[in-house]
Amino acid sequence: MSFLPSCRDVSKYLSAALDSGRPLGMHVRLHLALCETCRRVLAQFALLRHGAARAGEGGPSLSGEAKARLRRFLQ
Amino acid sequence: MTMTEPETWVDAYGDRLFRYALSRVRDEGAAEDLVQETLLAAFKSRERFKGESSELTWMTGILRNKVFELYRRQAKEAPLGPADEDADPESEFFGARHWTAAAAPRDWGGEPARKAESAEFSAALRACLDALSSGPARAFVLREMEGAAPEDAAEALGVSPGHLAVLLYRARMRLRRCLEKNHFAPGAA
Repeated sequence: MSFLPSCRDVSKYLSAALDSGRPLGMHVRLHLALCETCRRVLAQFALLRHGAARAGEGGPSLSGEAKARLRRFLQ
Repeated sequence: MTMTEPETWVDAYGDRLFRYALSRVRDEGAAEDLVQETLLAAFKSRERFKGESSELTWMTGILRNKVFELYRRQAKEAPLGPADEDADPESEFFGARHWTAAAAPRDWGGEPARKAESAEFSAALRACLDALSSGPARAFVLREMEGAAPEDAAEALGVSPGHLAVLLYRARMRLRRCLEKNHFAPGAA
């Protein structure tokens, strides 16, 4: 596969393509057709985007003290 | 459109605004300050609320702008430098051309898309984000959590578009590796 880009280059290209929205080039598509590992990283980058949109929905709540401070502030 | 009484905002929206802010700034004190600034801005501009969206959506929009303002301020006061960036992941993940056996992405199994919508995945992603250096973390927040256009994210961070691409690449590589170890590993989550 030496005529094709390396996994190292493809992983960078896939990250950049996610931001540019440009279609993947022929050499990269051919690399992906032959390389299951890079197909996985492409899917994982996409999942990160999917999951990131919801990442702010959970987590800790404001403490009672902080809420009291904010209430005082709004009065 | 009449808004609810400001006295009720903390109980009604405080926690959700705080979680939103905390997931972006990774510091409880800074997140609380952002919530306070957001509530104050909402209070001052409440006459302009037209009811075209919910109060929470309106306040979240204000908070989003506050996050951008904070990032811009941080970029001016302390521009991102090498210490704010994770090491180049290439040497850790790759040999001359290909993935090393130890670092090659594994099959996450099952239905990853469904898993990515779970509260456990969100918690794991937040924990992994906390472990990133500030440069890649801020780039990921602006681009993937806020959905900012690349040029807007680069401007807010005070970096070139090329530098932003490097930061995003490092963030994605480290986050996927962290999730693989802590969330998608056999027996994890």
